[in-house]
Amino acid sequence: MSNINGKVYAMNAITPMKPWKTWILRGFFFVLGRVKPLQQDLINLSFIEFARWVVLPRRGFPFLGNGQKREELQYDYLLFFSNFNGTWNQYIDAFSAVLSRGLNLIWRWSEKFPGSVPVTPFKNYIAQVQFDTDYYYTAYPRATANDLKSAHIVQASLDALSLRAQDYTPAQFEEAYLHFVIQVQAHLGETGDAPVVF
Amino acid sequence: MPNKSGSLYGLTILSPIIDDEKATPSHDLQIRKYLASLATDDRSPFALAPGTHLARLVVMDDVIYVGMPACEEHLKSKYLVLESNFDGELDDYLGGLADHVPEQLDSIWGHCVAYPGAANRQAFIDYMKACQLDTTFYFAAINDKSLPETLRALHTRSAVADFIANHQGMEPARLQAEFVQFVAQLRSEPIPGPGTGGIARDIKTGGRNE
Repeated sequence: MSNINGKVYAMNAITPMKPWKTWILRGFFFVLGRVKPLQQDLINLSFIEFARWVVLPRRGFPFLGNGQKREELQYDYLLFFSNFNGTWNQYIDAFSAVLSRGLNLIWRWSEKFPGSVPVTPFKNYIAQVQFDTDYYYTAYPRATANDLKSAHIVQASLDALSLRAQDYTPAQFEEAYLHFVIQVQAHLGETGDAPVVF
Repeated sequence: MPNKSGSLYGLTILSPIIDDEKATPSHDLQIRKYLASLATDDRSPFALAPGTHLARLVVMDDVIYVGMPACEEHLKSKYLVLESNFDGELDDYLGGLADHVPEQLDSIWGHCVAYPGAANRQAFIDYMKACQLDTTFYFAAINDKSLPETLRALHTRSAVADFIANHQGMEPARLQAEFVQFVAQLRSEPIPGPGTGGIARDIKTGGRNE
């Protein structure tokens, strides 16, 4: 098992759904993908770097012949993959507290989903449907999602100041530099090793 | 397209693993054994090939039975899952993997049904696409920055913090000169490569109580 690399955790989950229900879920995701304000809670959970949901129809498993047996399933499946910062418990707690309505809309079509609130049965359900990662790679193991957002803000501010830095008089530069420091001061800080939890 | 968010592509691949009762150890176990020894730092195949932000490989043994009154059912094959988040277009990315890390790809997918090998670039691309699942909903927190831009920004952020800390209260003309010099030096410095800077962990962890 290797669910963690640096500051990021890889979660995989799979849940069964009755096939007729998957069309409702597809409709919800269709709307979610096109109405950006509905994604705001997901964006506000700023410890998620990447996440995806994949509806896998019962006849949609890749079939390549060559001796492979074709799957014979009754359920469609919902696959969920998340890349987040922090611990498993923090993640589920935050999901339950902030996104409970959205989570219910996504997983209520899955068999035996208990609802995202209260959190204890929700955690039990996630633990039941989660499967572990065998290999996990991140290009920036020392950085969190917030580090990435901050780094791009600092880069953009630096680029803007450096464009005109040589043209300023010292007094003008002093003012522009002060403005730059005020812009970036909340976005500085060191990335570093992740805390090791045992 | 649901597989994309901005300039980022979310690739999901399920490759059926060869089920051969004569193989010892079984092919899924051989994949797991290989992955357990595969580097996750700057020597990772995903670091050596261009464009990957985050990627994972998972052996999916079976679907999960959630208990009565749901029906219990099982898969006939085990599947190797690749979940990758990368810059650009799918063909370029898969071609880049085949170009840069063919041996590692063969060591992993060589245990999968009908895998053609990475030496034949187009056959490899076609095979991976045959195993691809379309993403239904894809979320990327930052979807308009490439990997080199992100690595550069992280390097810049650290350097800027040091610069500001070391130049507090400096006289404006000197500050300006040193700032210009700092920016020029920063731009000429090599960017730390992808996958660098993590700490090696002897114990692979990530249990549900963490």
